[in-house]
Amino acid sequence: MRTSPKRAGIRPGDIVALALAAVVLFPVFYGLCGAFKSPAEFAAWPPAVLPRSFGYTENFRRVFEQAPMMRYFANSLAVAMLSTSVRLLLAVLAAYAFVFYDFPGHKLLFFLMLGTMMLPADTLVITNYQTVTRMGLLDTYLGMSIVSFVGASQMFMLRQTFLTSPKAMREAALIDGCGDLHFIFSILVPAVYPLLLMLFLQSFLAQWNAYLWPLLVTNRVEMRTVQVGLTMLTTFESTNYETILAGVAIVMAPTALLFIVLRGFATRAMNDGPLLS
Amino acid sequence: MQAVSLHPSRKPGENPWKALLLVLPMLLFAAGFVYYPFVKTIIQSFGLVNFRGELTGFAGLDNYRYLFSRREFFAALKNTLTLALCNVPITVVLTVGLAWLCREKRWISPLLETLFALPMAVSMSSVALIYRVLLNPTVGYLNYALGLSVGWLTDRNYALAAILMMTVWMGIAFNFLLFLSAFRGVPQDLLDSAALEGAGTWQVFWKIQLPLISPTLLYVVCTNMIQAMMTNGPVLILTQGGPARSTTTLIYLMYTSGYGSSNYSLAACVSVIAFLLTLVFTLLIFTTEKGRVNYQ
Repeated sequence: MRTSPKRAGIRPGDIVALALAAVVLFPVFYGLCGAFKSPAEFAAWPPAVLPRSFGYTENFRRVFEQAPMMRYFANSLAVAMLSTSVRLLLAVLAAYAFVFYDFPGHKLLFFLMLGTMMLPADTLVITNYQTVTRMGLLDTYLGMSIVSFVGASQMFMLRQTFLTSPKAMREAALIDGCGDLHFIFSILVPAVYPLLLMLFLQSFLAQWNAYLWPLLVTNRVEMRTVQVGLTMLTTFESTNYETILAGVAIVMAPTALLFIVLRGFATRAMNDGPLLS
Repeated sequence: MQAVSLHPSRKPGENPWKALLLVLPMLLFAAGFVYYPFVKTIIQSFGLVNFRGELTGFAGLDNYRYLFSRREFFAALKNTLTLALCNVPITVVLTVGLAWLCREKRWISPLLETLFALPMAVSMSSVALIYRVLLNPTVGYLNYALGLSVGWLTDRNYALAAILMMTVWMGIAFNFLLFLSAFRGVPQDLLDSAALEGAGTWQVFWKIQLPLISPTLLYVVCTNMIQAMMTNGPVLILTQGGPARSTTTLIYLMYTSGYGSSNYSLAACVSVIAFLLTLVFTLLIFTTEKGRVNYQ
C-alpha cells in the first residue's frame, strides 16, 4: 500500500544512513577482525583493521584451552532458560488473576507488582547477595536466576492483552467444566503465543547478557556464565588482545546469528504500530 | 488503556482465594527479592552492620555522615550525574536523527533496520572488551584513525568520556527501534496535508512529527536516565573506577564497599542515595513534561 515508484532508487539520505551504520558497527567489525590477528599483527604499527588472513584460528584454539567455554555456554543457557521460563509463568498466572478475578486487595497487589519496576535491580544487588548467601544458593543456577523471577513489565503486557480476549471464551470454557489452569494453558496461552514469544526473547537476551549479578554470586570457575567468564579470560594487566577478541567472537556468534535469523520477526513485532502512544 | 479497576467477568460465585493463589507466586518473589531488600537496604543504611550482614545496632545518621565525609563519594556522585546528564541528550539526538533518516518504509529499510539494530545482539561485556582494544593507545585503532595519542582508559581526563561513549553506543539499537516505530506511527495523511500546504521538512519535523513521537521521547528519556544512573558494567570491566576515581560511579562504589570491603551499611547508604536521585529525576521529568507530551 505504501510502496510507490518514488520510493525506489537510492537517495542521499540512504548514503548518509549507510555511512552512519558503518560508523556504528565499526567496533563490532573491528573486534571480529581482531580475533583472527596474530600477536605480531597486534604489535605492528600502524594498526590495521583487517587481519592478514581469516584462516588464522590459533586464538580460538587458545580460548577453548584457557577456559571451559562450553561449560560457560551451558551455564548461561541454563540460567537464562530457568529465569525466563519462571518469570513468564508467574507473569501469566498473575496477569490472568488480575484480569479475570475480583478479589480483596486486587488494586493494591496490582500496584505492588508494578511498583517493582520503580526499584532498579542494580541498587538491590548487595542485599540480595546477602539473602542468596544465607539461603546457601551461591554458585547454583537457582541463586543466579532467582532475583529475576519477577517480571512486572511482562505481567503488565500480558494483562493488557488478556483484557482484549473475548470474555465469552472463558465463560464457555468454565461452564464446560474447564478449570483455571486448564483454561490458561490450553486456550489462553496458545491465543497470545506471539506476544509470549516476543517477551521470551527479550527476557532471555537480557538474562543471557546479564553481568553484575552472575559476577556476584559465582565463585567457582565452572559455574560462571559466558559473560562473566569472558571478562576473566585474562587478567586486568595482561595484553593478549587477540585471545580476548577471539573469546568475544565466540560469545557474540550465537546471539548475533539468532538476532539475524529472528530479525524479521522482531522488526515485525516492533513495527506493528507505535509501541507507546 | 483500560482502567485498572476493570473486572470484566466478575462472578459473584467465584472464589477470590483462587485468584490470590494465582498471584501468590509472583507476590512471594516480589516480596523476597525486591521489597524485602529495599526495606533492608534502608534499615542497614541507618544501622550498624557486621561483615556477615547482620544488624547489630542503630547508627542514626552516622553512616551517611561518614559517607559524606569521603571524597570518593563526591567523585562517584559527580561522575554518575555527568554520565546521566550527557548520555540522555546525546542518545536522544542521535537515535531520533537515525530513526528520522530511516523513517520511510522502502526497499532499503530492512537492511538499515538490521544494521542499526545489530548492536542489540552484542552483550555489554563483549562491547567493553572490544573497546578495551579499540581504545588502547598503542595497539588500538581509534587513536590512529583520529590522529590522537590519548590514553582513553588511563587518563583521568578522558576515562569518563570513554565510558560515556560505550554506554551511548550500547543504547543506540533499542532506542533507534523505538523511535523508528514512533515515526512510522505518525499518520500519513497529516504529513501529506502538511506537504500540500507547503510545509518544509524542518517544519514538519518540529510541528508534526516531534509532538506525535513525544510519548516515546518521554519513555526513552526516562529509561536512559535510569540506566545511566545505574552505570556499572563498563566501569567494572575496564577501569575499576580509576584512574584516580575518575570513573567511579555510585553503583560501582556500592559494589566495592558492599561486596569488596563488606561494609554493608556504607553500601546501603550509597544504594539509597542512588535510588532517591533516580526517583527525583524521574519525578522531575514527569512534572516538566506535563502538558507537553501529546497522547493521541
